Amino acid sequence: MFTTMTKRMAMAAAMGALALTALPAQADVIDDIKARGTLRVAVKADYKPYGFRDTSGAIIGIEPDLAQDVADKLGVSIEFIPVVSSNRMQFLQQGKVDLLIATMTDKPDRRKVVFIADPNYYSSGTNIMTPKSFGFTAWEDLRGKPVCGIQGAFYNKKTGREFGAKIVAFKGTAEVYAAMKAGNCVAFVYDDSSHVATLEQDEWADYEMPLPTIDDAPWGLAVALGEDRFHDMMGEMIIGWHKSGRILELETKWGVANTPFAQDMHDKYK
Amino acid sequence: MNTQKHKILPVMMAPRPRPDDRFHLQPWHGLVLVAVCIIATIPAAFAATDPERASILEVLTRWMPLMLKGFIFNIVISVLAMAVGTISGAALGLGQISLNPFVRKFAWFVTQFFRNAPWLVLLFFAMFLLPFEFKIFGLTIPLPDWLKAIFGLSLPVMANVSEIVRGAVQSLPSGQWEAAESLAFSRNQVLWRIILPQCVKRMLPPWMNLYSILTMATVLASIVGVSEVMTLTGQILAAEGGRSDLLIPMYSFVLFLFFIYCYPIARWTVRLEKKFAVIT
Repeated sequence: MFTTMTKRMAMAAAMGALALTALPAQADVIDDIKARGTLRVAVKADYKPYGFRDTSGAIIGIEPDLAQDVADKLGVSIEFIPVVSSNRMQFLQQGKVDLLIATMTDKPDRRKVVFIADPNYYSSGTNIMTPKSFGFTAWEDLRGKPVCGIQGAFYNKKTGREFGAKIVAFKGTAEVYAAMKAGNCVAFVYDDSSHVATLEQDEWADYEMPLPTIDDAPWGLAVALGEDRFHDMMGEMIIGWHKSGRILELETKWGVANTPFAQDMHDKYK
Repeated sequence: MNTQKHKILPVMMAPRPRPDDRFHLQPWHGLVLVAVCIIATIPAAFAATDPERASILEVLTRWMPLMLKGFIFNIVISVLAMAVGTISGAALGLGQISLNPFVRKFAWFVTQFFRNAPWLVLLFFAMFLLPFEFKIFGLTIPLPDWLKAIFGLSLPVMANVSEIVRGAVQSLPSGQWEAAESLAFSRNQVLWRIILPQCVKRMLPPWMNLYSILTMATVLASIVGVSEVMTLTGQILAAEGGRSDLLIPMYSFVLFLFFIYCYPIARWTVRLEKKFAVIT
C-alpha cells in the first residue's frame, strides 16, 4: 500500500517534470493552428523551383504555393520554416512545424517517424547530372568514382552501396554545383526533377542526365504522428489538387515541364 | 629609433600612440579588396558570354538588401552573446579569485572546461539539448534557434571573459592590495573600489579582441540552421540556379562585410592597448 503510494507519487512527479519541460500541447493540431492563427510549414529554401528565396528573403516556389492553399483553407496566416533534408523530420517530431512539404521522398521507414498523407502529391526519381564528356551509360560506371550528394538524401546510401560510388555529401545544392565545376566529383546524384530544371540553363549546357532514372518514388507531405484529423484533411486537399490540375498549373507557373506523375494523377482523379 | 632631441627625459613625456602598422590600413581598403575580388572574376564571367544572364554586379545589387539583413542578424547574435558571456564571465572570474576554496575550484573548473571546448561543439550542444519551447506556469516561452545560438556562443565567451578578469586582477601589483588593507578597507571594498576600477583598463583590449573573434564565429550558426548571412548566401546561390561564377563574388562580399565591421574594432583595440600600456 505504502509502496504503491510512493510509486504513484514518483510517477506523478515524473509526469509533472515531463510536462514542465517541452511537450507540445495535447490538443488537436488543427485547433492549435487556429488558436495560434498561423500555420507553420517546413519547406526547402535551396531547391529551385520547389522552394527557394526571392530577393526580399521570402520563400517562394511550388511547395510554398501548395502550403498557402492549406493556410487559406484553414483561414490562417502562414509561416515558412526553412529546412534541409537532415533536419526536416526532427522539426515535425518536435512540433516546431505543423506540416512538412519539403521534397521528401515517401519511404516506409519514414512513415514510422512522421505521418505521410495519401495520395502522394508529387514524384521524382533519382538520376545523376554529369559532364557529357564522361559518357556514363550505366549506374555501374560510377564504381569507385567520387559522386556528390546532399546530406540526408536516402539515395546516397544506395548509390554508394549498390553501385560502389564514393559519395561526397554536401550541405546544400550551391556547394555541390561549385564542387562539380571544380571537378571534385564526376557526377551529382539527386532528384531528376531538380536536374531537369538545372540542365535547362545555359550554364550547364555541357552536362547531361544520361542514366535511366531509378527509384521513381513519390513525394510525401507529412504531419506529426497521431494527428489523424489533419492527416485526413491533407489527403482530401491533395486529391483536390490533383482533381483541379493545381499541380500541373504550378509546374507551368514555375517553369517546370509537366511531369508524367502529375499528369497521370490529374487524369485519375479528374 | 627616435633621433629627435628631447629637452626632457623621454620617460616623462606623455605616452602617444605610435603607429607601427606599416600599411596604415583603413576601412576603405576593404572596398578595394572586394573590388579586386570582383574584377578578378570578370574574365570568367565574360568567358561564357550570355546576354540573357544577369551580370555579377547586377546579381549582387539585387541580393544586397537580403545579405545585409542577414549580416545585421549576425551582429545582433554577437552583441547579445557578448553581453550574456560578459556578465556570466565576470561573475565566474570573480569566483576564480574567491577566498572560498570550493568556489574557486568550481569556477576554475567551469572556466577551463568551456575555454578548452571547440565553439562549434558547444553550439551543437546548445542547439540539440535545449527544447524549442518550454512551459512555465502555463506560459509557453518559445526558444527560437537564434536564441539557442546566442546561448551556445556565450559559453566560450563566458570562459574567456572569466580568464580575462582573473588575469587582470592578478596582474595588479600586490602593493595595491596591501596598501588598501593597511587603510582598513574590507576585502569587498578593496576589490570593488580599488582593484576592479584599475582592471577595467587592462581588460578592455582583450575583451574587444574577444568580441571581434566572436563576431567572426557567428557564421558557425549557419551549420546549425540559423538563417544568418552564410545560410542566406548559400540559399541565394541556389536561387540563382547554381551559377558557379557567382560563388567567389558572393562570398567575397560576406568577407568584406565582416572586414569592414571587425577591422575598426581591431584598430581601436590597438590604440587602447598603446594608451594603457604605459600608465599602470
